[in-house]
Amino acid sequence: MSERLIAYLPLLASLMFASGILAPLLYKPFGKRLGLLLAVFPFLIFIVLLLLAPKLGSSSAIVTREFFSLAEGIDFSIRADGLSLTFGLMISGIGFFILLYSAFYMKKYERQGQFYLYLTLFMGAMTAMVFSDNLMALFIFWEITSITSFLLIGFDHHLEKPRQAALQSLLITALGGLTLLFAVILIGNIAGTYRISEIIDSGLKLGEHPQALLIFIFILIAVLTKSAQFPFHFWLPGAMQAPTPVSSYLHSATMVNAGIFLLLRVHPFIGDFYLWKGTLMVAGGITMFLGAFFSMGQTDLKRILAFTTISALGTMVMLIGIDTSHSIKAALVFFIVHAMYKGGLFMMAGIIDKSTGTRDITRLANLTRGLPLTTAATVLALISMAGLPPMLGFIGKELVYEAKVQLPGLSWLVLPLGVGANIMMVAISLTIFAELFYPSVRKQGVPFRHTEKEFPWYFPAGTIILAAAGLVLGLAPGLLDKIISNALLFSGNDDVRVKLSIWHGFNQVLLISVLTVVSGVVVFIFRHRVMPLISSLIRWFDRLFLPDVFAGAIKKYVEVAARSTERIQHGYHRFYLMTFFIVTMLLVAIQTFFSGMPVIETSGLSTLKLHILALLVVSSLAAVFAVFSGGRLTAIVAMGVVGYGVGLIYLFYGAVDLAITQFLAETILMVLFVMVMFKLPKFEKLSSRNSKLRDGIIALSAGAMVTLVVLNARFVNVFDPISSYYAAKSYVEAHGRNIVNVILVDFRALDTLGEITVLTLAAVGVYALFNIRVRQLKEKEKNQ
Amino acid sequence: MRNLILIKISKLYLVVMIIFSVFILLRGHNNPGGGFIGGIITSTGFIFYGIINGSERVKSLLRITTIELMGTGLMTGIVALIIPVFSGLEPFTGVWIESDLLASAGIHLGTPVLFDTGIYLVVTGVFLSIIISIMDVVKWN
Repeated sequence: MSERLIAYLPLLASLMFASGILAPLLYKPFGKRLGLLLAVFPFLIFIVLLLLAPKLGSSSAIVTREFFSLAEGIDFSIRADGLSLTFGLMISGIGFFILLYSAFYMKKYERQGQFYLYLTLFMGAMTAMVFSDNLMALFIFWEITSITSFLLIGFDHHLEKPRQAALQSLLITALGGLTLLFAVILIGNIAGTYRISEIIDSGLKLGEHPQALLIFIFILIAVLTKSAQFPFHFWLPGAMQAPTPVSSYLHSATMVNAGIFLLLRVHPFIGDFYLWKGTLMVAGGITMFLGAFFSMGQTDLKRILAFTTISALGTMVMLIGIDTSHSIKAALVFFIVHAMYKGGLFMMAGIIDKSTGTRDITRLANLTRGLPLTTAATVLALISMAGLPPMLGFIGKELVYEAKVQLPGLSWLVLPLGVGANIMMVAISLTIFAELFYPSVRKQGVPFRHTEKEFPWYFPAGTIILAAAGLVLGLAPGLLDKIISNALLFSGNDDVRVKLSIWHGFNQVLLISVLTVVSGVVVFIFRHRVMPLISSLIRWFDRLFLPDVFAGAIKKYVEVAARSTERIQHGYHRFYLMTFFIVTMLLVAIQTFFSGMPVIETSGLSTLKLHILALLVVSSLAAVFAVFSGGRLTAIVAMGVVGYGVGLIYLFYGAVDLAITQFLAETILMVLFVMVMFKLPKFEKLSSRNSKLRDGIIALSAGAMVTLVVLNARFVNVFDPISSYYAAKSYVEAHGRNIVNVILVDFRALDTLGEITVLTLAAVGVYALFNIRVRQLKEKEKNQ
Repeated sequence: MRNLILIKISKLYLVVMIIFSVFILLRGHNNPGGGFIGGIITSTGFIFYGIINGSERVKSLLRITTIELMGTGLMTGIVALIIPVFSGLEPFTGVWIESDLLASAGIHLGTPVLFDTGIYLVVTGVFLSIIISIMDVVKWN
């Protein structure tokens, strides 16, 4: 049964990719309903995963055989375990609502087809990534998410800010992608396979391996960049420039959580490395606190949510860093909690934006009147974010506290950071509620443009259903037990007993929770004093901080690159030639100097025949004549004589094909010269004596070098000559007696393909250059 | 300057050159010749035609642009290299039509011949593209 179910997954994922690629075409017939149509795919995937979940059991993973192989060792197969199911359910479930939401939100946008193209590809890549059983496939999908998120963040590319934000996020996440590739290759080399299931089954532990440090650093950079951890966190608030559906998808269940997923995926085989704990705990701890702290200073609803997202990601990274069964369990539950409330809250921000035209919390008030259902859902999500019962958020936060309290040794550092972050979360939740929804007389909010009744049902559906799901799971957390226990097993934990419940009894953890809530309320009450303080801190921080440093570094880099390119690519053909000849001569000279002076071996040379001698004399005379001739036409004809002479030499030594080609090319060259001759400027001798001398020396020594090399080359045989092989095989295997041609079109077809491609490109270049001129001429004629 | 004799000769020359170049292309596998040489020979025919009749006449004679000609050639070459994949071989392998009838006539047809045709088209396109562009600029009409 489960085998049959899982067979639908690649089918659905490919359908999703295909429909995504076709989205710009589908937009015409379906128009604004396209979002609703595309939502079918994540919904079906969600259903399949939901049916799959109970079949999984607590100690088995379903791994399919590969159904597509990109290259040796890089095959695409599906691995469904608790971990991928947890992530997959969130990605497809929230993805479904996001597509519904986009169908209304993006209504007025241009280029909707492209938007759905990017969004669906992103969704497909994300789903495929979590179900990949091959590290290489995982990497490929990881990179697709980076690229599509770049396109999504910069979707409003007519504006400066989204472009910058998109570029920043791409540069940073691409750095992580690169290091992930290195890490994957290293792991693959050590393990001998890229298949995750084989690596896990073999019980490989990389912690003691000499290359463990390198692998860990590569993975760490990948995670820190993707999941916006300190010191790479700054791209995430910038990414708020994206349309709201994108923000709510990227920052709830996908994109930034890919780093978390990667950590859990590689945890079984590299989690025992000695730096794992410290580094992740520090990076996560700082991020967690900074994110929560900074969110208090913002006024834009989306930016507030962005900073709380950073904080939540920091929490997850830190929990994985603590590295006990408790903490990983807490991280998994927290991921679910966070995805649910954050997806809903971001969508809420978009709904408010649509109905009032602003997201500034200082200008909004009394929204309950026009948006009753959204308000209810938002309140539930905010309760979850603050970590209060009866929402799932409460369970998540309790688990987090428990993990931190039970941490041996370091809980004195981790716990205050966590409590501080949570106090801020409580305060910010209360602030959002008070500013936006609480009936206030003092504050006059902006009037409604649209109320909830004017929206179609699928627009607020996501916010409401996600909030309701958070409530249901909060009341019946047992539903999650099995899947999380399975996920725990496959992220390398021994203790996989999971029994989630909302009531833990009176203990230390509950005490800390109460303390947190009380402090949060206190911060909330004094928020009008706290917020300016934090904003001024942020301003101070911003001045010397990373976005500008990063942008500056990139600008400097481009400048330096431009300057050095200008110096190397000066555009003077004669200097290019000089550089080329001199460098080649120097290389040859160095080589001959170290391997002894060349001795010109005269034995074995055939005797010089009279007609060849005559040919050589004529050609050499023609060359000399061409150099010293006083007219252009004579010089060209003399060069032609040289060319034909060379062709004749080919012919005398039996290279018929070469000779024919040489003759033909020479002829066409002549024709070309003659055609353009009358259009060329007057023939003049502009070079000074010195430069003539210099050119002469370079030309003569280049000629001497080539002669020497050719004379000596016949003694150098590193390998047996291959010509006999070609001669033997040419007729038997390739049905051709003309070996030259058989080599060209059969044995070495790839080379020839490259050559004709280069030829084509050159011709296209010539065509383009000339056509600019032709167009100019035509315009001039028109003006006259 | 319109010279009737030259115009007639150029047309005849073009036809002869095209037939000759196809002959060269096909014999290339066993005797001197092949796509590259054939392509140059065709283009000499067109160049002679163009010198006498002007580049516009060459363009209208070709029906497709030179860029399209090159593209067709490249595509033909790539298709010839990919065809083996469909018979379960590595790409770039030569696949030959096994036919006793053809073999008894001394004819072997296979993907290398197709690839050579691609080269022929590309080379023709490259030379024509360059020459026609130059003709347009120097207003050779």
